Amino acid sequence: MKSKYIIIALLALSSLAFGYSDSVVWSDNLVDNILGYDKEGSLHLGQYFTILQSTYFKPLFFGVLFGVPAIFLIHYLIIGPMIFSHDRKKIYVFTLFNRIVHAIAGIAFILIIPTGLIMMFATTFGGGEFVRICKDIHAISTLLFIVSIVPMFLMWLRPMLPSSDDIKWMMILGGYLNKRKDPVPAGRFNAGQKMWFWLATLGGFLMIGTGVAMYFQDFRLDILVSNSISQIDFLRASAIIHNVLGLAVLALFLTHIYMSVFAIKGAIHSMINGYKEEEEVEILHSSYYKELKEKGEA
Amino acid sequence: MSDIGNARLKFYCDEHRCISCDGCSVACAEAHELPANINRRKVVTMNEGIFGLEYSLSIACMHCTDAPCEQVCPTDCFYIREDGIVLHDKDKCIGCAYCLYACPFGAPQFPQDGAFSIKGVMDKCTMCAGGPEETNSDKERELYGQNRIAEGKVPVCAAMCSTKALLVGDSAEISDIYRERVLSIGHGAKTQPYGWSTAYGSKI
Amino acid sequence: MANTWGYGAMTNSLGDIQNAKAIIIFGANPAVNHPVGFQHFLKAKERNNAKIIVIDPVFTKTAAKADHYCQVRPGTDIPFMYGMLHLIFKNGWHDEKFISDRVYGMEDVMEEAKKWNPKKVEDVTGVPADQLIQVTTLYARSTPGTLIWAMGLTQHSNGSSNTRLAPILQLALGNMGVEGGGTNILRGHDNVQGATDMACLSDTLPGYYGLSDGAWQYFASSWGVDYEWLSGRFKSKEWMGKKGFTLARWWAGVLDGKDGNDQIHNAGTNLKNLFVMGNGITSIAQQAKVKEGLDNLDMIVLCDPFVNEAAILTDKQDDVFILPAATQFETSGSVTATNRSVQWRNKVVEPMYESKTDHDIMFELAKRLGFYDEYTAGMKIKENKQDYTWPEDATDEIARIIKTIGLTGWTAKRIKSHNENWHMFDQISGRGYGKMKGEYYGLPWPAWTETHGGSPLLYNINRSVAEGGMGFRNRFGLEHDGQDLLAGAGSAPKGSVQKDGYPEITAVNIEEVLGIKLTADEKKRIGKNWKVDTSNIIAEKCMEQGIAPYGNAKARAKVWTFPDQIPMHREPLHSPRSDLAKEYPSFDDKENHFRVDTKYISKQTEQDWSKDFPINLVTGRLVNMNGAGMENRASKYLAALTPEMFCSINPDLAGKYGIRDGSMMWIHSPEGTKIKVKAKYSHSVPEDRIFMPFHFAGHFQGEDLSHKYPKGTKPYAIGESANTVTNYGYDIVTQIPETKGGLCRIEFA
Repeated sequence: MKSKYIIIALLALSSLAFGYSDSVVWSDNLVDNILGYDKEGSLHLGQYFTILQSTYFKPLFFGVLFGVPAIFLIHYLIIGPMIFSHDRKKIYVFTLFNRIVHAIAGIAFILIIPTGLIMMFATTFGGGEFVRICKDIHAISTLLFIVSIVPMFLMWLRPMLPSSDDIKWMMILGGYLNKRKDPVPAGRFNAGQKMWFWLATLGGFLMIGTGVAMYFQDFRLDILVSNSISQIDFLRASAIIHNVLGLAVLALFLTHIYMSVFAIKGAIHSMINGYKEEEEVEILHSSYYKELKEKGEA
Repeated sequence: MSDIGNARLKFYCDEHRCISCDGCSVACAEAHELPANINRRKVVTMNEGIFGLEYSLSIACMHCTDAPCEQVCPTDCFYIREDGIVLHDKDKCIGCAYCLYACPFGAPQFPQDGAFSIKGVMDKCTMCAGGPEETNSDKERELYGQNRIAEGKVPVCAAMCSTKALLVGDSAEISDIYRERVLSIGHGAKTQPYGWSTAYGSKI
Repeated sequence: MANTWGYGAMTNSLGDIQNAKAIIIFGANPAVNHPVGFQHFLKAKERNNAKIIVIDPVFTKTAAKADHYCQVRPGTDIPFMYGMLHLIFKNGWHDEKFISDRVYGMEDVMEEAKKWNPKKVEDVTGVPADQLIQVTTLYARSTPGTLIWAMGLTQHSNGSSNTRLAPILQLALGNMGVEGGGTNILRGHDNVQGATDMACLSDTLPGYYGLSDGAWQYFASSWGVDYEWLSGRFKSKEWMGKKGFTLARWWAGVLDGKDGNDQIHNAGTNLKNLFVMGNGITSIAQQAKVKEGLDNLDMIVLCDPFVNEAAILTDKQDDVFILPAATQFETSGSVTATNRSVQWRNKVVEPMYESKTDHDIMFELAKRLGFYDEYTAGMKIKENKQDYTWPEDATDEIARIIKTIGLTGWTAKRIKSHNENWHMFDQISGRGYGKMKGEYYGLPWPAWTETHGGSPLLYNINRSVAEGGMGFRNRFGLEHDGQDLLAGAGSAPKGSVQKDGYPEITAVNIEEVLGIKLTADEKKRIGKNWKVDTSNIIAEKCMEQGIAPYGNAKARAKVWTFPDQIPMHREPLHSPRSDLAKEYPSFDDKENHFRVDTKYISKQTEQDWSKDFPINLVTGRLVNMNGAGMENRASKYLAALTPEMFCSINPDLAGKYGIRDGSMMWIHSPEGTKIKVKAKYSHSVPEDRIFMPFHFAGHFQGEDLSHKYPKGTKPYAIGESANTVTNYGYDIVTQIPETKGGLCRIEFA
């Protein structure tokens, strides 16, 4: 359902961009756009955007890009990965559909995040044609992202709903701070996965929305007009949201990679063949394991 | 110019004189052969149709001293000349439009091309000073339009301004012209032969 | 104008406006139509503290720069001006000495003005009484005041009355013949003054000589052609003296009174061919009739640098010829500016592609019609040449012949020298410096002799005639109703041998008026009067004695040959106030008005127009276009400013009809025509009227005519012509169409 609306919205937006219509950025609205910069009563978004983009975004992205892996490196060195027995039974947790959707999302992320970073650090890459191509890839991969994120949202919505386990999980930070194999309170998905899920879906929709706005740039949305928000302010807000969310996405994306590839040895296989080690489920998703046991599936 | 070393070239539009004739914007588009949807310069009218409140202004890149576009550009494609003209390098620009979000005047323009309406690289007023390419080269002309500054000419918009509302030049020079206009109120018509000095003062 | 004081032209100049203390603008929008000239208005405001007063039905860009703005109802300028005069006479603000010395017939105006008290003016014009009092007080007390007008004043069924009352207002205040005063009519296009001077008119020979037999005789000899040959070109001799059709109503000549169209008087035949040179006839009132006229012609020839959209408008399939004419950059010659000054224009490039210059087209045509030799004979007379040099010899021929408006000084050599030394002239007074000393820029006519420096300021008696001074022209006889028409005692131009009024100079009275004796040789060579004196003896002697050749008379407030001897208010033919239309009815219908029977009162009373057509319709210009907009709409960047035809409409009015900003609307005219245009919300028009630009063509009554453009010639912007819905109505004297005061009905499309 949601995908249908998004596609309709996209088509509507693109038709506006293709058709000749009065510019909402440079035509008569130019005045509103100018007044919105930093005048009294305005949102001051122009100023905020300028300060954020000129001073904060680059260092923050730099910090996240290298800081998060650095922390994980320390974690890996001090605590090390969790290794679960591969001898016990395997539990089928991800259907083929789950895996395909995830794979598409994965590809999208692998395309979007580095190209986004290249745009952020365009100076380092010398700007010009290479970055422009990255920018286009960034935009086009969004389509892949949309295709994956909508079914993902729907298929995992229920297990991703918050539960009491999440608080407990948070209290012990998922048990990653030691190597003891104590059962961690978590359902099918733990609180960390849930965070990532909600960021990737709801945050993802926001990323898509703001990204599309910046991509098409000059279009008329009646909702903006009726709320007297100038187009430029809308774009400025989009850019700020896109970058702030981008920081969070980058941080959790790196975490997700670390968890699946390094922190939990072999965890990545579950997304390839659909099976998780029983011990892994028992320890890391103890509530879910109990549930399965009760149903007699484990 | 009074002090060529410290000159900072600026635009100023006298709203008491601007009559919204669009001579500046058409001259600009014509001189630089701009694509149809690019308006490097634009005349805006405020409070249209309301007596005592309506006024018009010609707006383009204002060549800010602390140009926010230059600060936010992820490719650092902007550069500010010694005389204060803010220019950019289209070969570096990636068309991200961040400069547009940062600009208080809506100056940066983006040609929409291709079936997916991919934005091209940014285009804006160069104060008729071209770009980083070799001065008066074909490439400069194609990418940035005429380089009239290099030829010692006034930017075409101000040259064409029918009421000399749009002034361009060293900021000190412009404030002198404007000051003279203000101080001369009620002092009677000034007679002098036609010519350059009428529009731009006798010092240039 | 010409009927008030002698010449129908701007009396001062754009630069001189800077000397004004007050500027009152009736029906003109110089900020849009004369953007460069408007700098003088702004400078007057800036440097001279001049107050700008704008009287216009629509809040224009000029009004945006004004100190006072009066929103009159279209077609009520006369009540407004009488309202001003009422207050001026009542408070004694008028210049009594000026009136008694230099004006005839002001008493009648005073009498009429008494009727127009501010309350009554408010009722008729819609301008609040207080505002009228405020504006009049300001204008009357800030002298010198200049009065500006353009098409907003002239394009009415009583436009010729409007253009007489405006000068009367200036005469009453003594604002004539002074720096910063005058009546400054703004000509709408490049060289309109020149075209008028050279008789692009159907009622006169060049130089306003009229069509009398004497005038024909003078021109026949000056052109070097046989008078009999010339008259032989006409159906019969009597047709030489008859006025022709006008641009406004030529189509009536084609339609020949058929299908209820107005009857014509054209020697029993209708017009068969139309030859258009550089005229946007798609911007003429009653577009549907223009189309009908075009459709019924045998042949249409259109010469323009761009495709004349008459070819698009017509359904005629055969015998429509579009000739590519060269632009002004591809030819050279003199052009006359709005202030009667001349400039030389140099050729920049040779005519491009297969285009030909206008004169080449005409010469070729004359060759094929078999009168090329006669056509060009006049150019060879001066130096008795074998062949002529274009355009210098044509310019010199004009200088040699046209005495009435004093073009004797306009030799090609002098005009060129002014252009080469344009930096040596003062921008306000036009006075020359250095080697141009003693001359005014562009030799504003009258430049009486080949050494005269021009007259930048008409009717100025504070200068000597040699320096451009003069009184009013003695054009209407020596007396009327027993009253002397010559100027009063002591009101002769400075340095004159005659201190009082004097008649126009003829061979008979020259010795008496100038106080000189002519030699026998001079007596032999002198022409009959100053207008036909090709020997220039009259002009030369006059300069020596400080006498204006055309005399020194009174201006007249009363024109006894006109239907209204003094200007009277008459409601437009289509008036939104039917009560006032009864009180101030239009003229009686006029038979044979420029060969066409023209309806006035019968049209006005045909029905109560205001009932079905409640909204006033005003048309006007846009800054990026002129005329029919053919060349402007073909320019990518100019067209981009207004890519579509639109109608400015007040949001409150639009709201009543459910018309949204940017939606399409139909506009219906009383003539049964309609156009479909885009609504543009604007507060510049009040709730009872709409405004439309008249530069568009290419759509006709809702139908897109794109397919009719020859390949590659469709302009970037096309649209409905506003003139498809402008109403019937023509001026009683000049036949200019009443486009500035009509009615319409609107609906959502």
